[in-house]
Amino acid sequence: MEILEKLKILADSAKYDASCSSSGSNRKNTKNGIGNANNSGICHTWGADGRCISLLKILFTNSCMYDCKYCINRSSNTVPRATFTPREVADLTINFYKRNYIEGLFLSSAVIKSPDYTMEKLLQTVNILRNEYNFNGYIHCKTIPGCSPELIDKLGLLVDRLSINIELPSNNSLKLLAPQKEKNGILKPMEYVSKNIMQNSQIKSKHKKLFVPAGQTTQLIIGATPETDLKILKLSEGLYTKLKLKRVYYSAYISINNDKNLPTLKAPPLLRENRLYQADWLLRFYGFTSDQLLDVSHPNFNTLLDPKCDWAIRHLDKFPVEINKADYYTLLRVPGIGVISAKRIILARRNFSLKFENLKKLGVVLKRAQYFITCQGKYYDKIYKFTPNFIERNLLYDERKTLIEQKFEQLSIFDNLLPAKEDKVKCLTGNL
Amino acid sequence: MSNWKLVNKVFLYDGTFEGFLSLVFYCFTLKTLPQKIYPIEKYYTNFLETTIAIETDYNKSKRVFDGIYNNISFDTLYNSFYAFLSDQKDKELNILKYLCDGFELGPKINSMLTVPYVFSVLSMKKRACSECHKLKGLVRFMEISNNIYYSSIHPDNNIIEPLGQHFIKRIPNQNFIIHDKNRNLCFLYNCSINQNNHSPYQNNGAVYQNNAVAYRNNDTSYQNNGPAYQIIDGSNFKLPKLSDKEKYYKLLWKVFFETIAIKERKNPRCQMQFMPKKYWDDLIEM
Ligand code: SF4
Repeated sequence: MEILEKLKILADSAKYDASCSSSGSNRKNTKNGIGNANNSGICHTWGADGRCISLLKILFTNSCMYDCKYCINRSSNTVPRATFTPREVADLTINFYKRNYIEGLFLSSAVIKSPDYTMEKLLQTVNILRNEYNFNGYIHCKTIPGCSPELIDKLGLLVDRLSINIELPSNNSLKLLAPQKEKNGILKPMEYVSKNIMQNSQIKSKHKKLFVPAGQTTQLIIGATPETDLKILKLSEGLYTKLKLKRVYYSAYISINNDKNLPTLKAPPLLRENRLYQADWLLRFYGFTSDQLLDVSHPNFNTLLDPKCDWAIRHLDKFPVEINKADYYTLLRVPGIGVISAKRIILARRNFSLKFENLKKLGVVLKRAQYFITCQGKYYDKIYKFTPNFIERNLLYDERKTLIEQKFEQLSIFDNLLPAKEDKVKCLTGNL
Repeated sequence: MSNWKLVNKVFLYDGTFEGFLSLVFYCFTLKTLPQKIYPIEKYYTNFLETTIAIETDYNKSKRVFDGIYNNISFDTLYNSFYAFLSDQKDKELNILKYLCDGFELGPKINSMLTVPYVFSVLSMKKRACSECHKLKGLVRFMEISNNIYYSSIHPDNNIIEPLGQHFIKRIPNQNFIIHDKNRNLCFLYNCSINQNNHSPYQNNGAVYQNNAVAYRNNDTSYQNNGPAYQIIDGSNFKLPKLSDKEKYYKLLWKVFFETIAIKERKNPRCQMQFMPKKYWDDLIEM
């Protein structure tokens, strides 16, 4: 089969993976080498769906021996099948890289013959790139569920990032929809990788070999199964704190296959996905916990308000916050103040006491923040008493306007949730 | 800046960063602030205005350069350099004031965001930096002859130099040309010179700018070896006919690009927001 044909098939079956990030690694170029990695990642283009494309994202093969119900590549589907050779993938990567089409490779695969056989193929490919072509650009590789730890060890020393997708956010759903993939087949390798990353990070030597320097990520499918936002967010929280994952990606379910255990959705639940991303952000950079954002009586996010506004309105006793006194994390909890503007406020108020007219320049979204802050003891407006209803109505009005402007399909309603530096580029690019 | 006198004059310089630093030197010695500052070629004579053309002096500009680095901070140098690359009209005067205050107040100048010209310098820097970052991704090279790669760009800011330096690190064994079509400037990189560590290109203009970026990256190699690149006028550049191999890679890329988007999530608005139309001409996929 021609490369062009293979590329078409294997990019098509790789597209449902949300990740395309090239951040988190600082790999340097070597003498006679080609490529380096940029810590904050670089987007190379944006697809028609608005997602950033930074890596050559392809499957090694889509001939799968498994039959996960939700997946386009499941063995019971009749779709065109193709398999690359390691050399083909390596050559394609290098030639795209030389022309600056891409930042590197994201190689994933369906399971062919056996998990270990598949892993060997990925390993061969990466080996050609790193050791034969001296490629030092970004490589993100999938860990195949159920593969043996020796292969992970080898692969981990060559790639920048590893990921293994949990996909379904609970044990039951996994059993129901991906019966051949055992929960342990997924979690074991994940734990193994985390353990190795942590051990590696303790080695202080300058000449140590890097092991998965950009960390590990995973993906959860949203809306294919009945889990609540609370359950999903709790899972993510555990993955961040216990397994030290770099990122959890959320992917709104798209109905591809018909199955009695799967819902038929008219459109993917993009707004819900967006809310989860916003909440995920709050966990990682804003010091929130999942219990603060949601609880059993309130297990799903408000579709009309972003999680931070929603939280703030339910906790008006914590406000107003005095801009000239509040510490960093208190500032971060104010709707309309993000990581960047909070840092700027702290920097700028060292020199003199801030007034409202200064805040706009510092990046604060006053439209949102005004209900929650004072400057030099004064509110923005003459209205001194804010009730939750009043604020909610006003915020809702703004948010709805944004949503309408963005036709409810916008992925990046992050205007008030400016991300931290490492993830800035990726997030703002809608590559989530 | 309080004891400086504001003179009703227009100061002109040659348009380079070194020229501008020479101008800063001049203003410092005389403690004067001009009314306006222009690069000579952009100034239209106006008989109501008195002009002073300030000569570029590499020793003086080097002294200012080192002075900023040693007495204010690296960040101030970095901010000034990138703000200077921005396309904003009154950039020079803002940077000048920023530096004046910087020499008086030290590194804390960078936190004085509520001072208009400090804010202006920081936002110019931000704009130039983010465009440079964006183009690091959007540059599309094509191989126009054996191991010579070419890319055209249309940036708002004059970021060809830091952009080129990014690619020297990344693809040091490829010769390449980056062509800024808005300014008709070509960044030429010759990899054999880089490898042999000598520097026939004596492009004085580039050395200091180069250093600003090299300092930042803690990278002293450029200072020692001199640049293996030069920036020249690109008006005469003609793009040769592309080989079949090159056309094939373009096709592969286009096919990949079209395949990887999820139809059910179509969102042209979002796409456009991240990749404004002004860059499309240089992209293969758009
Ligand atoms: S193992 Fe992966 S590729 Fe195969 S059917 Fe399951 S999800 Fe799809």
